[in-house]
Amino acid sequence: MDILSHVLLGAQILFTPTNIFFCFLGVLMGTLVGVLPGLGPTAAIALLLPNTFHVNPVSAIIMLAGIYYGAMYGGSTTSILVNIPGEAASVITCLDGYQMALKGRAGPALGIAAFGSFIAGTISVLGLMLVAPPLAKFALAFGPPEYFSLMLMGIVILIYLASGSILKALMMAVFGLLLGTIGMDAISGTQRLTFGVLELADGIGLIPAIMGLFGVAEVITNVEEEIKRELITAKVKNLLPNLQDWRDSFWPIIRGSVLGFFIGILPGPAPVISAFTSYAIEKKISKHPEKFGTGVIEGVAGPESANNAATGGAFIPLFTLGIPANSVIAILLGAFMIHGIQPGPMLISKYPDLFWGTIMSMYLGNIMLLVLNLPLIGLWVKVLKVPYPILFPLILLFCLVGVFSLNYSNVEVALMIGFGVFGYLARKFQYEMAPLVLAIVIGPMMENNLRLALTISQGDPRIFIEKPISALFIIVSLVLLLSPFLPWLGKRRKKLQEKVEGEEV
Amino acid sequence: MDKAIRYNRISAVFFLGVGVFFFLYARSVEIGTWNEPGPGFLPFWGGVVLTAMSVALLLMTFWGKLPPMTRSFFPQSDSWKRVLATFLALIAYNIFLNPLGFTLITFLFVAFLVRFIFPQTWTRTLVVAVLSSVAARLLFVNFLETQLPKGFLGF
Repeated sequence: MDILSHVLLGAQILFTPTNIFFCFLGVLMGTLVGVLPGLGPTAAIALLLPNTFHVNPVSAIIMLAGIYYGAMYGGSTTSILVNIPGEAASVITCLDGYQMALKGRAGPALGIAAFGSFIAGTISVLGLMLVAPPLAKFALAFGPPEYFSLMLMGIVILIYLASGSILKALMMAVFGLLLGTIGMDAISGTQRLTFGVLELADGIGLIPAIMGLFGVAEVITNVEEEIKRELITAKVKNLLPNLQDWRDSFWPIIRGSVLGFFIGILPGPAPVISAFTSYAIEKKISKHPEKFGTGVIEGVAGPESANNAATGGAFIPLFTLGIPANSVIAILLGAFMIHGIQPGPMLISKYPDLFWGTIMSMYLGNIMLLVLNLPLIGLWVKVLKVPYPILFPLILLFCLVGVFSLNYSNVEVALMIGFGVFGYLARKFQYEMAPLVLAIVIGPMMENNLRLALTISQGDPRIFIEKPISALFIIVSLVLLLSPFLPWLGKRRKKLQEKVEGEEV
Repeated sequence: MDKAIRYNRISAVFFLGVGVFFFLYARSVEIGTWNEPGPGFLPFWGGVVLTAMSVALLLMTFWGKLPPMTRSFFPQSDSWKRVLATFLALIAYNIFLNPLGFTLITFLFVAFLVRFIFPQTWTRTLVVAVLSSVAARLLFVNFLETQLPKGFLGF
């Protein structure tokens, strides 16, 4: 009965005109950035965050969450119709989705992607609702050593997944930790590395950093050469999959949902990994694996369900531990802090309206997305036709205004441009963005927990291995870091790397 | 010299500089001890670790095996012009936002990028620039009530 009363509370919060509007705005924006190649959910959430300052935190989080899962719907549209994934999570959908479109079956492909996403989204919200509260209770036992080790493990998993050199990914993480130390020290109040610049006293702003690294750097990479797109020009019809399509897709959708949810809980680019894993599994257990890649509906249904379910799972570490699993969630965490909400295991009990309101909004959001993506598919096809030469100045304009309006500060805009230059060059030199962003966000938290833990143990670093939970996290981190020297694990990493290459996490 | 080696050397030297800077700087703000870590604790050890890793990367460019580089720096020979021009436009926007005002600088910014990065016709440029500066003004100033600079023209 407990859950029922919470659900009712959530519904009460959600069903106000304001919150329904923000939910709609979120999924609409999400679909839009999902459709537009060259603008991901990370940048979109960062862009809209400054504009949520004057609305209440629940509405803000409802909208920002909507962008995240909405982008997964939109991403499939471009994969199927243009063979260009709108999001990295939809890369695999191109394989069979575009082939289906070439055969004149774009309709059922889009249809099953939307229905699969809907079913998966609903299943994962259900999971989130059931798993998060007990997990948060468990996490109440965590002290500074456990938190430090857990965050360490989070960063290490991202490093493990980095495509390319582990050393270079580690360097980015340490660089992020160092950037995170800029600003006033939370424990002693000492100014560090601010050089008298007022804007740096609170630390390097998360928004300028993310807008630079993902927004500006992404656009700059895209202006190097003109992107050529070929649109399937035939009219999209028969969006409803037929009975045979459903028979073929039912189990892939269910398997994809469960898989995506559990992968989503782990740190890393979960939507991408789960989509690839789902495709691999469907192909392996299929009676006709040789047909994959020629336009089979299972190849669309499984991965599209998995990437949606993963977004739900990714909220679990955020709501229960206050730790982000990827950069999108990291920005949401930033949003919590900006609105004065202290993330952590107390969040669900202290702000039940926020947690249950957001959960309920995800059910509603998924229904809205179904409506947005099926009957209105023609509209999104039109959006795809806006040429990039006209689109990119507008994206940059949004970045500039978004960052400037934070504090009306030209220094922060300059900071964003600086991060843009850095992000652009770092990509060229094949450094990963994900460890850097995560480290900037959780660096200050890690530092505080490290120092508190060392103070508790009176300077004895063994505290991290004497506490059993903390020891477990440390062991996992060590094994992953040493993986290049362990043949069986190293091979697994290679496989995973191929999957997440080029992903913005 | 192989591209992978050259790229890694350049970036290793960059991060080496960053690492050295941090651990030198940290000494000026009290590092503390393991018993009582001070504000300089993490910058110091982080700096030391980054320096060590940069040296390792640098050494690997001489002896070790590195994954090969798959992409060239610029995909087209004239890419650098567009990249540079876009960055300069961003910087100019930041400098002239206050003196010129939001609406005017937005118009100039969009017009410049549309006309010169992937050249469009003048008509198209003007239509896009006028529409986007007016729409941005309505959206940000009138609807979202963002306080954006008015500039010397007063709009």
